[in-house]
Formats: sequence, structure tokens, C-alpha cells
Amino acid sequence: MSFLSLLVNEPGRSVLMTGNEAVARGAIEAGIGYASSYPGSPTAEILGNLGRLAGDYHFYAEWSVNEKVALEGAAAASFAGLRSICIMKPNGVNVALDSLASISQSGIKAGLVLVVGDDPAGHSSTNEEDSRYLEKLAHMPILEPSTPREAKEMTLAAFELSEKIKLPVALRCVTRVCHASGNVTVGEIAGVNRKPAIGKNERFITVKFLHALQEAKLNQVRRMADAWPFNRYAGPENAKTLVITAGASFMYAREAVKELGLEGEVGILKLGISWPLPEKTLLGRLKTAEKAVFIEEVEPFIEENVMHLAAQHMMDLYPLQFYGQKSGHVAGPSGPGIGEMNPEIVAMALAAVCGVNYSPPPGCDESVKKLVPKVPQRDLAFCAGCPHRASFWAVKSALALDGRDGVVLGDIGCYTMGVGRTGFNLLQTVHAMGSGVGMACGLGKLADYGFNQPVVAMVGDSTFYHAAIPALVNARYNKSSFLLVVLDNETTAMTGHQPHPGMGKNAMGEEVVRMPVESVAEGLGIPVSVHDPYDVEGTTELVFHLLQSEGTKVLVLRRACALIAAKGTKKPRVYVDQELCIGDSCGCNRFCNQTFSCTANIWDVKNNKAVIDEVVCNRCQVCVSLCPRGAIKVEGGEQIG
Amino acid sequence: MSRKKGSLDLKQEVMDSGACANCGLCAGLCPYIKAAGERVALVHPCGLEEGNCYRLCPRTSTDWEQMDKRVFGRERVDHVLGNHREIVFARSLQMDAAEKGQYGGVVSALAAFLLEQGRVSGAVLAGGPAGEAPRAVVATNRDEVLACAGSRYSASPTLSAVHRAVKEGINSLAVVGRPCQVLALRKMQGLEDGPGYPPAVDKVEFVIGLFCFWSLETGIYDLLNRKAGGQRILKVDIPQDFLTITTASGSANIPVDEVRPLIRPACRLCFDPTSEFADVSVGSTEYDPRWNTLIVRSAKGKEIVDAARARGIIETRAYPEERLPLLYQAVRNKKLRVLQALESGQGAGYLQLTGQYREALQRERGMNQ
Repeated sequence: MSFLSLLVNEPGRSVLMTGNEAVARGAIEAGIGYASSYPGSPTAEILGNLGRLAGDYHFYAEWSVNEKVALEGAAAASFAGLRSICIMKPNGVNVALDSLASISQSGIKAGLVLVVGDDPAGHSSTNEEDSRYLEKLAHMPILEPSTPREAKEMTLAAFELSEKIKLPVALRCVTRVCHASGNVTVGEIAGVNRKPAIGKNERFITVKFLHALQEAKLNQVRRMADAWPFNRYAGPENAKTLVITAGASFMYAREAVKELGLEGEVGILKLGISWPLPEKTLLGRLKTAEKAVFIEEVEPFIEENVMHLAAQHMMDLYPLQFYGQKSGHVAGPSGPGIGEMNPEIVAMALAAVCGVNYSPPPGCDESVKKLVPKVPQRDLAFCAGCPHRASFWAVKSALALDGRDGVVLGDIGCYTMGVGRTGFNLLQTVHAMGSGVGMACGLGKLADYGFNQPVVAMVGDSTFYHAAIPALVNARYNKSSFLLVVLDNETTAMTGHQPHPGMGKNAMGEEVVRMPVESVAEGLGIPVSVHDPYDVEGTTELVFHLLQSEGTKVLVLRRACALIAAKGTKKPRVYVDQELCIGDSCGCNRFCNQTFSCTANIWDVKNNKAVIDEVVCNRCQVCVSLCPRGAIKVEGGEQIG
Repeated sequence: MSRKKGSLDLKQEVMDSGACANCGLCAGLCPYIKAAGERVALVHPCGLEEGNCYRLCPRTSTDWEQMDKRVFGRERVDHVLGNHREIVFARSLQMDAAEKGQYGGVVSALAAFLLEQGRVSGAVLAGGPAGEAPRAVVATNRDEVLACAGSRYSASPTLSAVHRAVKEGINSLAVVGRPCQVLALRKMQGLEDGPGYPPAVDKVEFVIGLFCFWSLETGIYDLLNRKAGGQRILKVDIPQDFLTITTASGSANIPVDEVRPLIRPACRLCFDPTSEFADVSVGSTEYDPRWNTLIVRSAKGKEIVDAARARGIIETRAYPEERLPLLYQAVRNKKLRVLQALESGQGAGYLQLTGQYREALQRERGMNQ
């Protein structure tokens, strides 16, 4: 299971792949000419892999600065006749929506597939969003694979569908499909022999009279949907209880029905296309059913649309009862439409609907239950040595010194964890990529109306390029007063260290020109300072001084992500000299362990002194400078500062 | 007995109430209190109920007579100027200190002398360009001391450097400080051993106190630089009723009344304009700009001054008879003003004085006038 599986050129062979790899493989088999993405979980690995293979299969791949630009590039390649794929997370669809809705209206030429990785339960997202509503809004067909195998096959089919109807097509995956591994039967990797060009008379114009054509295209898909090969029905004919499901939820439904022993009674209709609906298929099954149960993630998208369809055919379908999120029957612990599905939730719902007994498996035995309270509680925390921890401590200190209750606006990235204890609860707002900077623009204009708190926005380097720049232009133009702190760890850390425009490297591994944050800010005429956050004292003082003056200011706190830095040269050993550490006699109240709380600063309970977990420690040496006793020492290697 | 107090009390009673004198000694004592620019703040609650930060603060409860006994081993006779062995005019005999220093350059000369004699291995001073808020400097040689020469008129929290210096391995320090800073150092030296006992306690070898009737908010630097018209400020002085700034192209006077609104409110409640608990105190003469007033207070202060005189580092002459009453008058008036303010309920009531002390201060009023 590695990207090498994507290179297997033996059609018919079954290869173990993740859902993300399967999508990449599907794209290669479809002969794409263009791939673009902004890194986002759970689909970040797709373009990562495509970037590595672009040279081998002669297509172009890029990490774009944001999803809107990514989509626009892919659309342009489609206009020029190249199959193109664009990958993003649901928040990315929010960003790209303006273009998406327009491109869908103008129409496209070669197949354009938008892969969206929804993240039910938000395992690696700030919010939980069901992108299907937006894809429907943009008049796109929505395909939902349930397994890695389907992910690959549907990718291929999506290109064909897109090309046939001249609409972008959404391939909606969820985390459990993206990250699960399964057998994928590989097909032929077709040699691409297309010369991109836009004909002299070709036009791709968004104009309102094309709306009718757009609807006609969707109707065309609606008619095709019944024949969509990825719809599947399992169960008795004329089942009285019909489960309607799609995507990973299908797997849970199948397991639950088996668990309850209802295979002979309950039918499962899995939709391979969730918009437009395969209406004839649905109506046929619903006609004989008395109960319809909807199992899907996250929100009741299929449920609403099927109920709408059923309302149009009420007389044919009566009597028919609907069970799902709307009725409250299908609900996780946090309520309907919130969080992931699992076999247990589905089994509970089906048992209630079918009137059978079901008690969920105990999960774990008593001895394990006794252990659970003894497991130490762990906060979400920055990695050991993470420069953000030092940056947050310095900014917090500077704001306390300033004494005017400075407001800190957060953003999207690893540093979003700054809302919690690991960032000293510093962030007061978190919304979307770059939104902290836009909000700072607003607060920074309120001084004349009595707002006398200094304003600090904190963004990561990748977020800076993604969405902070327009806000920064706005700030300078409208004379807004705030400090933008760019936490520059020289990578897109949160999604797996993808490159960005400040790094001098692109998705295909080529050396490219670096565009450092400070050059961009300087170009806008904004005063900018660059500092190393590991110098906590110096950073504190610098932030403090920057807060004392008016105007838009940028401070770049630059220090490589500790996880990348740890892989480099031999690092010195950082250790606590327990002769010097005086434990609880110090008066620091275990500062390194309890307050600064780097995960490597642990407590030696036996000696009642600080100690460093040298397995976890990334050798940043920040705690060396913070220990009031000077008890943390460095041995060997290259020392910092 | 009252509850033991710690950092949250310090924040509430001193920092948030505006009583903080900005001495800086609590900053760097632990990782929770920091200093930057001319501000000191508790940046994060330490979680401990009591702390030495509260005990050593010059603006928490201070028993003035107890301080006399502890620092000098005796009660004071002079309730205006405190314990002293000599009050003289003094000046540096070394040209560099005399030229760079304020007035007679005695502070620079003595600090450099202590380093050169090996009596201390570092000196904590306020340094940096004259037209900017000063920063703490730990000087380890004569040149570094001289680079800090010249008076500063804002309250920089330079004592945070005491802890930094000790952490960096300097085990014997001279400290030059304002009266509030001297008091903080002496309160620190009186701490009992226990949790949070600062390693700096026994590292402060010699304390040179400055005369200070008030200090200014950092806004003064904007004003000064505006008046300097963009030129680099070489020296700042307050000879009489003017604040004088010197630049390469000459000097400019700013009337003191223009500066007065920038006086730190906390300074209006300061009972000690002459650094009563220092080993020696140094100020202007308000009479002859070539000389300093030098008050020798402790035995150690006397020893060092004698040695400096013997080696031709400084020279002293008798305090002019006719000038002495003026010094007493200025100091006493300040003290009486502060007592009045404190009695009217201003400030946190840091000053613990017996009725006898107050009476003595009033009584001696006639004596020296």
C-alpha cells in the first residue's frame, strides 16, 4: 500500500489501495492532463500522489494557493480539452463555490471531476460540513463511492459522465472511504495523446440564459441515473422495509442488517449517485415498501430529496412511513445529522423501526472499564518543540504586558489549537481560511468609535497565501490598525507538509521561485518584521513594541515545523539537570510541565523534579530559555541561539 | 493573621491599581511575571496562593523602621534623609566618567570601580540611547558601564536583569537603581528561605541608589523626539525648571510644566526620593553641574567610597552649609505630601510608619529649615 501501487500496469490485477490512492489511480487511468488541489483532509494525499506521478504520465499537477484558483486552473484545462481533476475538502468548496457555480453554467469541454473529501465528525477539520448541498446548488451530479474499489471505478466513470453532459461532476468521498484500504482492480493506463487547444469559436461564458441549458443537462443525468452502474439493491424483492443509503453508510447499513438477522426482511438500496436521484429506481422500490429508512452522512440530503420526490408521487406510494434524521430515528450520540454513522447507530435505528430487540455489544469487558478512568486525560496539543507553542506564549505575554485586553483572531491550521490550553486559550475567533485577517480589518477600524483594544490576527504561512492577502490589501487600503502575526513554519504542516509559495518547491518537486511572506507584505507597503519564535523573550518584546503603534503591521515568526526540523541534522540532547531543578521548592509551580506544557516536559514523580521525555523531545531548546533556574541543559549537537 | 498573598494579589493591589513603581524585580523572578518596554505584568496565573513576588514588591506593605534596622542595624536619627554617614559633594576624577556621566559622573565611576576591583562581576544599569526608553544592561566591564552613563527619566523595570544575570552565572552584582528599586532589592534580601527563594538574594553585593523625585511615562520619548526634530538625542537633563535635550546641533529646553502631565501617577505616592536603603545614594546638587550629591549610608558604602577616594577615582568636598537646608526641605516636603496623599486613602497603603516616625518628621521640620 504505497504510491507504488499506482504504478502497477497489469490490467485486471487486484491491488491494495487507500480510497485516496484509488482516486489518483482512477484519474491516471482516465488519462488526466491536469490536476490541482489545495491541501485539505481527508483528501490531501490524492494530489500528493498525483504530483509525484505527473512526470511519469505526462500530466500537470499543482498545489494551488487556494481551492478557487485550483478549480479555475482545472476548468481552463478542461476548456482546452484536457481531462482535469480538482481535489478539495468541503471548506474548499465554500471557497470555490463562486467559480464552481459559474463554470457549471458556462459548461466545460473535457471531463472535469471535483473530488470532495467530506469529513463527518470533523476528525481533521474545524467544522463538519455536508458539501452535497453546495454541489447541488452548483447544478452538479454527485457520485458517492462506498469503497476504494468504487472510488477508482467511479473516478473513471465520472470523467465520462462529465464529458458527456459538459458539466463538472462531484465525486463525494468521506474520510472512511479516503483513508480505508481495499482491493482495487486496476485497469489500463491509457497513453494520453491530446493536444490542448481552445477553438477559435469556442466560448465558455457564464450568462443567465444558460441556466435553462444547465437544468436540461441535469435532467439528462436524471434519466441516466437509473442506469448508473453503482446503484445497487440487496434484499428481498418487495421488501416492506427499505434502507436508502450511499457512500460509507452503505457498509454500516449492510453490517447492521446482518447483525439484526433481517436480511430476509429489509432491503438496502445503495445509491451510487445521490444527485440527481435515480427516480424510477427509487419509486419502484418505495411502491412496495411501507417503511423507508435513510442512512447517510452527515445531513439528511438524500432523505430530503427522496421525501420531496415521494411527495410528488404520494398517491402511488401510500402507505409509506419515513424514518431517518428528520424523524429522529437515525441519530448518533450528539443527535440527528451530527457526526459519523456506524453499524451500531444503524442497528439501533433499524431495530426500533422493525420492532426487534437489539442491545449494542458491551464494547469492552469490566476489567477494561476499570482501566479507563486511569488513562491520563490528554488535551489536543502542539507537538513537542512546535514553534507555535513558543509563539503563542510570546504573544500572550506581550498582550498581558500591553495591558489593554488585546483581541486575538485565529485562523485555520495547526495553530487553531491555540483556542485550547496548548495555545494558552489565546484565540478568540476561529472561522475560515484567512477570516481572522478580514475580521482584524474590521476591528482595526473601530478606534474612532471607542474600541480601544489592540488587535492581533494569527495565520499560518500557507493560510497567508491562501486567503490573507486580499484582507491585507484591504487593511492597507482602508488604513486598518492591527498586527498580523504569520506563524511561518515553512510548510503546510497540518495536512502533511505540502509545499507552498514560500518554500521554493512545487507539487511536482521542481525548484521554483520563493515568495516569502515578508516580500509580499513589503510589496503592499506594509511594515514587516521577521523573528525567530524560539527566542521567546525577543519575540515578546517585539510583539509588545509592535502593539504600541498604529497602522497595519506584519510580523513573520519563522521557524521550521518541529517535525521536519527533527528529521534533519544531529540534534543536541536536551535534559534537566536534577541537581539544579528544585522541584516544588522553585516557586515556578512546575512551569515547564504544567504551564508551558510542551509534551516532552514531563514530571519525574519519584524525584519530584522536572525531566524531559527524550523520546518525544524534538530538541527545540525553548524550555532551556524559560526555566527560571537554568536547570534545563543542552548537550552536544548544534545549539540554537 | 492575614491571609498569605501571592501573584494575584500583586496584580490586583499593585499592577492593576496603578501603584506599580516599575522596579522590575518581580519580573523574571518566576516565568509568570514579565517586563517589556516600561511595563510589568503577570502574564499567566501561576496557580500558587502565595509568592515572594508579593513580599519583595516595594509597593506592598513595608515597615519602614524595620527596614532601617535590617539594612543598617540601627534606627534612623534623621527622619528626612534616613541613615547616613556622610553627605558630600562628589565627582569623578576620571575624565570619561565625568564627561559621559550626569553631573559629576559618580555613579558610573563607582560602578566601574566596583567591577575593576573585582568586588562585583556584573553591574545592573539602565542603558540605551538617550532618546529612547532605557533597557536593562548587565555591564561586566568599565566600557559597558560608561555606555550606560547619563540619567534616565522614565521608570524602566531594569531589575528584571538581576535574575537574568544570576541565571547566566554572575554571582556578585552591583545594582544602580531608583529608590523603589533599592527598596525592592532590600526587601528581597530580607526574604526567608523557602519555596521560591530567589537565587539572587545573596548575589546583590552593592546598591547604588539614585535620587528620584518622580519619573515619566514613556510618552516622554515621543515628546522629546518631536522636540529634537528628528535629530538623535545625545543627552537629557532637568537642571531646574526646564527639561533640556542636547542633540548634535545644540540644545532645546522644554518647560517642566509641559512634562508634568507625564509623571507616573505611582511616583506621586513614593515616600523615598533619596534611596534611603542604598549603600550610597547619588543625585544632582541643583547647584553646581560639575558635582553630584553623594550620601554614604552603609558601612560597606563608606568602605567603597573611601577606597575610591584613596585611589583617586572620585573626589569629595563638604556639602555647602547653605545648600543643606534646601535638600532637607525638598525631601521633607515630598514626604509630607506623600503622607498626606496616603492618609487621604490614595495608594495601597504600602507604607507602615509609626506615629513616632511621623511626629519626628514633623518635628525636624523646624530644625533644618
